[in-house]
Amino acid sequence: MLALIYFIILGGIAVGSALCVLLSRHPLYGAISLVVTMVSLAGIYGLLGSPFIGVVQIMVYAGAIIMLLTFVIMVLNGARDSRTPMFDRVSLFVFPAILILAALLAFALLSSGISFDPSAAKVSVELTSKNLFNVNSDGPGYYLLFEGIGLLLLSAMVAAVLMAKKNLSSKNLENNEEEI
Amino acid sequence: MELHASYIQILALALFAIGIAVALTRRNVFFVLMGVELSLNAVNLSFIGFAKTLAFEASIAGQIVPLFTIAIAAAEACVGLAMIILIFRSQDSMDIDNYSNMKG
Repeated sequence: MLALIYFIILGGIAVGSALCVLLSRHPLYGAISLVVTMVSLAGIYGLLGSPFIGVVQIMVYAGAIIMLLTFVIMVLNGARDSRTPMFDRVSLFVFPAILILAALLAFALLSSGISFDPSAAKVSVELTSKNLFNVNSDGPGYYLLFEGIGLLLLSAMVAAVLMAKKNLSSKNLENNEEEI
Repeated sequence: MELHASYIQILALALFAIGIAVALTRRNVFFVLMGVELSLNAVNLSFIGFAKTLAFEASIAGQIVPLFTIAIAAAEACVGLAMIILIFRSQDSMDIDNYSNMKG
């Protein structure tokens, strides 16, 4: 009963701030609403018994991704059309399509009859690390994915630096202030 | 009244629908990125909600995969924002309708 009350409160906050993202005018307000969504989703993860994923959610999403997004929004705020009209004519077709999709999926979910298994694992830090770094040959092998994620993050960082930097040579360092 | 497993999925579905709506209907390019992030969050929530319906051994996988999804989302946001800066430098606009002439 108490879990349901907490879930309704946190889910209401999450859906409400997601609607704020949909309806806000300036992208900065949308980013702030997105932080509220991320934090309430982290609360739902803790409520479901995965506190480690909730903490990672707050650290990576609310801490890193939205911070980067807010930084770029503030840097590029001088655009002449930072207040473009919100919706165009395509939305007339997109909104009914999304509503139909959501209704069909909700019908399928409600008729599927899934229920919680009380023996489901509460993934703590210990259990996560034990599974993630299990290097036995008969283990799940998540450590290979982990190494792949490391390579992916490194290549994404290099790609971002290569794309966003205007010229890679370090000759004219005094012109750096003009770069966006 | 107890917390039922399908309520989690309904919440994830609502967030996913709102995220897709944001990504498809808004014209500012930052809202498109934010809609994609919102959809990724909804998929994570769905993963964990379904993982809780399985037995002990099987439910661990559904709670480790969201960690990888979060890392992929971080890489995607990093590259996406760098691309926005790059496009903004040549187009001087944040309206995605102005980005439709990217032909090399």
